[in-house]
Amino acid sequence: MIRIEDVHKRYKTDHGMGRWVLQGISLTIPANTNVGLIGINGAGKSTLLRIIGGMDYPNKGRVVRQCRVSWPMGQGGLEATLTGRQNAKFVCRVHGHQNDLPDRLAFVQDFSELGRAFDEPIKTYSSGMRARLQFALSLAFDFDVYISDEVTAAGDASFRKKTAAAFKDMAHRAGLIMVAHDENTLKQFCQAGILISDGKAQWFDQIDDALKAYRDGIQK
Amino acid sequence: MRSQLSITLAVWHAIFLREALDRLFRERGAWFWLLIEPITHIGFLALMWGVIRKTDMGGMDVVVWLMVGMLAFFLFRRTAIQVMYAVDCNRPLFVYRQVKPFDTAVVRGGLEAFIMALVSAIIIVIVNLLGRDAIPSDPLLVMGAVLGLWLFGMGYGLIASVLMELVPELEHILKILMMPLYLISGSIWPLASIPSPYREYLMINPIAHGVEAVRLGYVSHYHAVPGLSLGYLYACSAASIFLGLLLYRRYVLRLVMQ
Repeated sequence: MIRIEDVHKRYKTDHGMGRWVLQGISLTIPANTNVGLIGINGAGKSTLLRIIGGMDYPNKGRVVRQCRVSWPMGQGGLEATLTGRQNAKFVCRVHGHQNDLPDRLAFVQDFSELGRAFDEPIKTYSSGMRARLQFALSLAFDFDVYISDEVTAAGDASFRKKTAAAFKDMAHRAGLIMVAHDENTLKQFCQAGILISDGKAQWFDQIDDALKAYRDGIQK
Repeated sequence: MRSQLSITLAVWHAIFLREALDRLFRERGAWFWLLIEPITHIGFLALMWGVIRKTDMGGMDVVVWLMVGMLAFFLFRRTAIQVMYAVDCNRPLFVYRQVKPFDTAVVRGGLEAFIMALVSAIIIVIVNLLGRDAIPSDPLLVMGAVLGLWLFGMGYGLIASVLMELVPELEHILKILMMPLYLISGSIWPLASIPSPYREYLMINPIAHGVEAVRLGYVSHYHAVPGLSLGYLYACSAASIFLGLLLYRRYVLRLVMQ
């Protein structure tokens, strides 16, 4: 379960503080629920997602996580001077997997299909190779809730097919909070929806209702 | 669920190994340059003092005097600079919310102490093999003074890293500041030779106290600079670390937020 309590957020710009992106969002996201975040561009979907994931902090309010929450899928940080393997080791250690390190590394190497490039520095990687490694890292751990921001499967066709299958499997197994602009993706993966507009959030038990409210909002 | 302590320890372990790799193997022979930098400084200045026929410095062999002062100052400088850039160099890793800015700072400082211990041991062995008597007579005093210098380096680095984040232009000033600090800390010429009242002004600098105290620990009959006080060094270290921690606590969000 994730509790979001009265979260306010604004960013610092070159000309002082910017406008409020989120203004008093209070929600409770139950365990094992797949939720889609809906809103127009710039509504604050990604901001809220980052705050839920703990990558960013609210100016006011707080988020209580009573479960293991992932970092945004496929967007894990990589250190450019280290190799793929060294980066993978770092992430495993940070997440407390020192003991079964070889298993996790074997999974990451196998899933990413990087072959010998796994032992080359990240700075030599192409963007496709980076994406493969980042996606494999996201799947290497058992989180209770995964968060996903527009995970447009990267890489070539065969890898895209593989990630889509893995994503589907993961969505059945654990909770998921996702941002996507494609309605079919949202309907496929999510039961509930959160509509964000004007810095406020509204919870819908059915994703279809959320999408309907979103469309009505645009037409006005 | 892991306890908070076990998470922090796991993160420190991970950062330590990642930083050690970066520091020792970032480029071809990176570890070699860590060792060679102090050696060239000591060697060049030993040559300079040798040219003017100065073999004794307040009762100490001039090579040992230079070695001790240089290693003590390098410990401070390297710790300060490494801690100063800890947040900057680990920015991609803050995506994992277990990793906090303070973790990177404290682990980098610890790693630098570890590396300087190895570098110092190697240089001390070399100087001994060259026939100079480079064995401390009071190891406890040496360790006490070295610890004080390291703590002051940590404090300086913590404060500098936050200031740099708040006012980016300060980076230039903080970089320039290291040069005069090198000159006035008494690592290349004796502060005892400076007349009063200017010597008292220079002794405001806590690094000078640390450098001289390490020398006194090496040779008990060394004529250390008057007014030497380890207590002053430790007071400055404690104050700077406290201020640094306070700034981290206050501005921790600014350090990682985009």
